[in-house]
Amino acid sequence: MLMQIADLIGKVKSIVITGQCIGGTTASLSALFLLCHLLSLSVYPPMSVLCITFGSPLLGNEALHRSIRRQRWGENFCHVVSKHDIMPRLLLAEIVNHIPHIQALLQFWHCCMASPQLPVAGLSSQVSNDLKHILFHSVLKDLELLTQADDPSESLFWPFGSYVFCCQEGAICVENVASIMKMMHLMMATGSPNQSIEDHLKYGDYVAKVSRQFLQARNFEEGIPDSSYEAGVALALQSSDLTDKIVPYRAEIEWYKACCDEADDHMGYYDSFKLTGASRREGRVNINRHRLAQFWNSVIHMLESNKLPHDFDRRGKWVNASHFYKLLVEPLDIADYYRTGMHRERGHYIEHGRERRYEVFDKWWREKSVPEEENKRSKFASLTQDSCFWAKVEEAKEWLDNVRSEGDAMKRQQLWHKIDNFEAYARQLIYNKEVSKDVLAKNSSFSRWMEEWKEMKLQVQQITPLFPGFVDGKVVP
Amino acid sequence: VEKAIKEKKKIVFTGHSSGGAIAILTTVWFLEHYLKPGKTLMSPFCVTFGSPLVGDFIFNHALIRENWSNFFLHFVMRYDIVPRILLASLSTVGQELDQILKLLSQKAMFPIQGSVREASTFYTSVMRNASAVASHAACRLMGNTNPILETVASFIELSPYRPCGTFVFLPGHGKLVVVKNADAILQLLFYSAQLCSENQLNAVAERSLNDHLGYPSELQGCLNWQNVVQLDHLEGLPLSSSGAAAGNIATNIALDDLGLSTRARLCLRAAGEHEKQKLSNQQRMDNKRQEIELGLAKLEEYKSKSALCKVGYYDAFRISKYEDDFKANVTRLELTGIWDEIIEMLNRYELPEPFESRKDWIVLATKYRRIVEPLDIANYYRHAKNEDTGSYMYKGRPRRYRYTQRWREHGLRMPVGSSAESCFWAEVEELVLLYRTADPGAFEVIRERTINLERKLDEWIRSNQISNDVFLKGSTFTKWWITLPIQHKSVSPIQGQIDREI
Repeated sequence: MLMQIADLIGKVKSIVITGQCIGGTTASLSALFLLCHLLSLSVYPPMSVLCITFGSPLLGNEALHRSIRRQRWGENFCHVVSKHDIMPRLLLAEIVNHIPHIQALLQFWHCCMASPQLPVAGLSSQVSNDLKHILFHSVLKDLELLTQADDPSESLFWPFGSYVFCCQEGAICVENVASIMKMMHLMMATGSPNQSIEDHLKYGDYVAKVSRQFLQARNFEEGIPDSSYEAGVALALQSSDLTDKIVPYRAEIEWYKACCDEADDHMGYYDSFKLTGASRREGRVNINRHRLAQFWNSVIHMLESNKLPHDFDRRGKWVNASHFYKLLVEPLDIADYYRTGMHRERGHYIEHGRERRYEVFDKWWREKSVPEEENKRSKFASLTQDSCFWAKVEEAKEWLDNVRSEGDAMKRQQLWHKIDNFEAYARQLIYNKEVSKDVLAKNSSFSRWMEEWKEMKLQVQQITPLFPGFVDGKVVP
Repeated sequence: VEKAIKEKKKIVFTGHSSGGAIAILTTVWFLEHYLKPGKTLMSPFCVTFGSPLVGDFIFNHALIRENWSNFFLHFVMRYDIVPRILLASLSTVGQELDQILKLLSQKAMFPIQGSVREASTFYTSVMRNASAVASHAACRLMGNTNPILETVASFIELSPYRPCGTFVFLPGHGKLVVVKNADAILQLLFYSAQLCSENQLNAVAERSLNDHLGYPSELQGCLNWQNVVQLDHLEGLPLSSSGAAAGNIATNIALDDLGLSTRARLCLRAAGEHEKQKLSNQQRMDNKRQEIELGLAKLEEYKSKSALCKVGYYDAFRISKYEDDFKANVTRLELTGIWDEIIEMLNRYELPEPFESRKDWIVLATKYRRIVEPLDIANYYRHAKNEDTGSYMYKGRPRRYRYTQRWREHGLRMPVGSSAESCFWAEVEELVLLYRTADPGAFEVIRERTINLERKLDEWIRSNQISNDVFLKGSTFTKWWITLPIQHKSVSPIQGQIDREI
């Protein structure tokens, strides 16, 4: 085939070389061969070379990328990657252990492409769900690690040329290596194992769709920022269907919580985060926590400076998203607050430490136009429905400490009262299963507090018969 | 036409469809032939309806540069396909074009039986091409630096045709939208003809033909010019229907009437920003005029000083023995930097079109050329660059002099190459090199050129385009000239000048 290509030199003005999957890498190599050959021949007029690949795996390392860049050959390569397709992303991950899985996958794709009339779903059973799952999550994890490092040099394989990411809504062209890796990650993160396999077969559809898009005027559905730059970015994101780019940060924190729930120390994620602030895992969680805070703060800022449509805070998608975020992440903010001893400086979290955005989200949730149905839960909620629960636990802890040392009987009475109320409240939540299992973990702050409280009550009950007047704060001889 | 001119009447050239194209070309012919600088003549006017595009971006650039752009007014019904046809290449629409033109020439209103499919196919092909042209142009406007853009562009045939003059879009219901920015007009030609939804295709395709024949009835309703919107300040266009500030309401309605999507508005904004950027670049250059004047003043001083030493500043600089010569070189290089920047911006079309025909810049450029080019020539021959590269005029002359010479020649309608007074010394140097007195018949080699040069020199001296320090005793010119054969010298027009100096 290379001889055939070489034959064309001097006979044609331009050549397009193309291929899908492994065929794409063959196309890339042929194009590189041709470009090198042309260089040595100094053909005039110069022959134009364009290489377009679809769902191809990466070809080479950083050195290849640099050489291609130096020769300015990057402009001859256009790699089309669909939103969820796992193939182009495979070589960014550690796949040494997955080779047999990948081989099964390649066979599956080959079958599908060879018999296009058979429905993909039917053939899909050839590839086991486990396999898909393992491969998908393994690649996604590695992609995430890669994009969190500041420079992508950790990867063995590097992209070169331009990448065109396509989906139903449109396509977006990216050239910068770090951006390419990020897009690879973010787009895949919005998909599922099945989608990542099936998307590999959809290039025909995508190309057909995208090539008809010129006909129709396309507008934003949601708010349009006034800056040209932001609008342009938003349009680009819309084309890539990535309006929820914060998904991976949230996913990381959810995963952290799940890990803590299963962990041996039975602490739950609130306490884990509060206790270990410095370990690597917590460090990453902390970064994501900050990023999400920034994102949501900026959303509120935009809303308040009229950069978003005025009914933004009544749109289901955003109200739910903010609510979910609050329930998931506010406990970590609380943990951080108490770990760093801020409550001693400023006062308790609920009154003094709470970030404004949470109050705003409370408001949005309360004003939701569609009332939430009162469901009877059969198992514990995945997230504690009171995002300030842990702050209340911390306050209750302090009350408990103070009760022991409080001299003034009146004050002691009040504290006792407050503690009682909190206990009743907590019990109600637990009864309604509106707490998540981390609250009830054996070694969680709440559980330990309950232990202490029970003990104290027992002590008081024992004491009371001896000193009947004690309870009223009076000592009756 | 001659008759109308004699009767001192204002001439309006007009036409519909291909008649419009003829009207445009006729108007340009008229302007070139009859509108001479200094002559008083009624400027013509050109009004077209549904005219196809006539020229490329250079054509448009030249019209604006000559200040003729305002004479052209083009009406375009919103969906009329004819103005968009030439955004497509013949190879992609050629098949359907014949049929469509036949349909249009029948001048009957649609629907004609069985024409819907041809209309739809044609509309889709034209729009596909128009989309490519508009997107490519928009990417350039927005400063997209992805190199794959040019690679892909070289694989597709992109039409070179571009709009010129002022366009008036007719969205319907007697409304008029006036646009002058050519980049914006190109984007509007594509985006205003887009569909709102795919099922509109057949209806819009039919309309794209009907609209071409709809000018008389549509314009009847517009004649009082009541509902006119001028689209300017494009860089601040509202991006959505709901986002308009109070002052922008009329603009917003106009944009909505044309069915412009967010992407379309972003492209219009980019066109506005590009224009703004050009104006700001011009302002920056205008601010440098003073610096240029100061530099030129310094060199004039250097020139007068050298004249006192009977050597002339050309030769003084050529020898470059003293500090004054060194300082002159510094000034020369500073001025080079400024002018090279101007030339660079012109090459990238980053200055407004009329820049090269601005009288104040032509005057300044000519002054610069006359004072500084001799120094560049001296520098060139001093370092014997002609031995590496070739003669100065052939290979060594910098673009800043070639361009500025063309500015003057074009502005004064002089023949090309005639304003060469600033490169006088280059010719002298070449003649000196060619004239080897040792050879017999040496003069024959240079006779013709020498006669030419002397004649021109005489003229330039008389018109003060060259100063008579060239005749100083120590000048390269004089030293060479006196070695010429006596027969020649005695009849030379400059004999007298030389004698006076020596």
